[in-house]
Amino acid sequence: MAVRSEAVYPVSWRNGRVAKWLVTVDHKKIGIMYIATSLLFFVGGGVMALLMRAQLATPNEKFLTENSYNQVLTFHGTSMIFLVLVPIMAGFGNFLVPLMIGARDMAFPRLNAFSYWMFLLGGIVLYMSWFSAGGAAHAGWWSYPPLSENLPFTSPGNGQDYWILSLHLLSISSLVGAINFVVTIHNMRARGMTWMRMPLFVWAMEAYSILLIVALPAISAGVTMLLLDRHGLTHFFLPSQGGSVVLYQHVFWFFGHPEVYIMVIPVFGMISEIIPVFARKPIFGYKAVAFSTLGIAFYSLLVWAHHMFTTGLGTGLDSFFMISSMVIAVPTGVKIFNWVATTWRANIQFDSPMLFALGFLALFTMGGLSGIFLAAFPVDWQVNDTYYVVAHFHYVLFGGSVFGLFGGLHYWWPKMFGRMLDERLAKVTFWLMFVGFNATFLPQHMLGLLGMVRRIYTYNHGGLWETYNLISTIGSGIMALSILVFFINVLRTQFLRHGIRSGNDPWLADTLEWYTASPPPDHNFDTVPYVTSARPLRDLRRRLAEAEA
Amino acid sequence: MPSLVRSKLGLLAMLVVGLALVAPAGALAAYGGFQPQHAHSPNVEHINVAYWVIFGFTTVIFLVVMATLVTFIVKYRSRGRARTVEGVQVHGNTQLELIWTVAPVIILALIGTMIFFLLPKITPPAKAAGTLEITVEGHQFYWQFNYPNGARTINTLYVPVDRDVRFKVISGDVVHSFWVPQLQGKIQAIPGRINHTGFRADKVGTYQGYCGLICGPFHAKMLLTVKVTDDASYASTLAANSTRKVLGRTEFQGVCATCHGMQGQGGYGPALANNSILAQKSALEAIVRNGRGLMPPVGNTWTDEQINALAQYTKTHVYKGASTSGG
Repeated sequence: MAVRSEAVYPVSWRNGRVAKWLVTVDHKKIGIMYIATSLLFFVGGGVMALLMRAQLATPNEKFLTENSYNQVLTFHGTSMIFLVLVPIMAGFGNFLVPLMIGARDMAFPRLNAFSYWMFLLGGIVLYMSWFSAGGAAHAGWWSYPPLSENLPFTSPGNGQDYWILSLHLLSISSLVGAINFVVTIHNMRARGMTWMRMPLFVWAMEAYSILLIVALPAISAGVTMLLLDRHGLTHFFLPSQGGSVVLYQHVFWFFGHPEVYIMVIPVFGMISEIIPVFARKPIFGYKAVAFSTLGIAFYSLLVWAHHMFTTGLGTGLDSFFMISSMVIAVPTGVKIFNWVATTWRANIQFDSPMLFALGFLALFTMGGLSGIFLAAFPVDWQVNDTYYVVAHFHYVLFGGSVFGLFGGLHYWWPKMFGRMLDERLAKVTFWLMFVGFNATFLPQHMLGLLGMVRRIYTYNHGGLWETYNLISTIGSGIMALSILVFFINVLRTQFLRHGIRSGNDPWLADTLEWYTASPPPDHNFDTVPYVTSARPLRDLRRRLAEAEA
Repeated sequence: MPSLVRSKLGLLAMLVVGLALVAPAGALAAYGGFQPQHAHSPNVEHINVAYWVIFGFTTVIFLVVMATLVTFIVKYRSRGRARTVEGVQVHGNTQLELIWTVAPVIILALIGTMIFFLLPKITPPAKAAGTLEITVEGHQFYWQFNYPNGARTINTLYVPVDRDVRFKVISGDVVHSFWVPQLQGKIQAIPGRINHTGFRADKVGTYQGYCGLICGPFHAKMLLTVKVTDDASYASTLAANSTRKVLGRTEFQGVCATCHGMQGQGGYGPALANNSILAQKSALEAIVRNGRGLMPPVGNTWTDEQINALAQYTKTHVYKGASTSGG
């Protein structure tokens, strides 16, 4: 006898259109919420970048006041790092890691939801800084004391306190998430998936998580000391009472440099997934790419004081950190050469994810090479704290991370939502972003060499300073346009439903996430095939072809 | 990589791309693009040598990687081949991978060795019997220079040409970074800590300097000028520029005016032209030494002479618009 299921099992409020997202412990929904929230903060941080570029477009501009400029630069940096690049990696990791290793969910689904909500809360607390007494935090994303201390002429009020509390919440979020990733990757891989058959993105998430676990306690301790200082309980960083300013610099950068790699290693993983699929080849040197990720992660813990060459640490320490910083260039180089070699004798498909990946290769190489100037400490004495450094790290974090992330978004979009983003608009996004990016940041190398220091709200030089600054501002506008085109594409594909249905595996990819439906059902897989190589789906396609023949 | 150069097309593409990249780079370098600061001291001169050597290595690496990438992209593009057509299934090549691991090691070792070789010429002059030692104080938002004979100047540093000068760099409030691009690299001015730097300027002239590190709202205005004079007239130039009259004027214009305006008309800070404190030395001294509210203790390291000079200047030139000519 047929039973009407609705009658027996009434639909719970938990299945409501909005409620199902709010109460979810599903890694896919959490991953998508992470990515969506990060993109929202990305727009926020981007608007602040445009404000700064508007202020710097011409000499003696009066668009922003000196104080609001410092607030905006602090929030641009803090947002992009703590609210965009770190959590968006967790978003991709959440969505992809269980699917890639053939698992049902993350190891600790509730903890996973907790880590997302802590991230959102951290973001909200950070932005509450704008409404606090004394105005928003304005000491830069490093927040070096004494500028960040609660002295009447530095950072009085509560803006800096919100900044500190936000970092505490975000640290808890990332730490919990990282532990979850490590446990999941170590314990929940499909049958047959040995370490050497694991997708390279999962390798990257393993390195990302380990780095977070090692580095985050340092910043948590550092900002806790700052918080205690600010409320008159201690004087860790107040030299007038025997504290040490340099101590904060060490603690901050012990976290700060691994942080740079935390923001780029998962992108290395995405690139290592995208290039082989669109080259129709296996990755060149799987082991070299996997182990170089671990090598970079390890060495990234030993290079922090290359941010402190102008602190006056002495030739001995400067030399050590120069050498260790140069050593880290070797595994990075290995990766770039292996990616380039993957395109050798390939059948390159120029879909948008591949365009972003190739753009990443060019721009990240540039960012890596300009880093060698900064590692050589006497040269760093000249270019440190100038726009040369600004250009360098934007080539790494935008040219590298953001280009890779947009490649990842276009590549995994059909898996996340079941529809293909419009390819034409995606290509427009890429070319606008590529041209806009280079127009913005290439001239900043020259500005740095001309002597333009970072974090100045104005300048009075004409000539080349003015020309390069104006080009840079125009470039930032072109980049903003590219982001706009991306959101139009999303709107068109997802909300106006113009995107075509993608099917399980539109790219004929190699890894397990493409084995299940798009979007995947709640339980991910009906069955998981036994994994016989690093490319289980290609193995399946071949077996099918053989069976047909 | 013989497989790459084997085909004429690949070679041609590499040449075209290489030339396309080198030509504008050369043009830009000639017009102050990629060129580092023009050196006027041995320190910066040798830093520039290091810069150009690294520039050479990195440019070659960049061109080789980009040329290879572009060649592969052009040569192995799909040309309408279906997605199902696979490329050559190579999984790696140990020999090749060893080469591109060891080659960067060698290049980086060369760069590192070069740095250590140049280092003695880059390191600021050591303390010797005849070395002139000047103290550099970073303050929100001005630079103060204390000379061995007791003279003090604000925002303008006087040094003799062709003589080793050493700087003791300290801070009166937050962290600043002392930088004169053509004469010497950056060194932070850190409260509670003494750093050292120095240079030997090779040409009489005026050089622009900056604060490198964010230090508050007027970080951008924390500029300095280095005036290099010939050795014979150094003492007299310094004396002429550090009299009580000049000192008072430069103190007001370099320290107070940033927030209170050149005529004390106010700006970021309150207007003070009509404030009677300007005419009372002891009240002025208390504020200048200790700060008040958002105002930093700008004069926390000042001598009595500096206070006197300021009090005299504000009384005669600023108070009630006594004179706007600025003496």
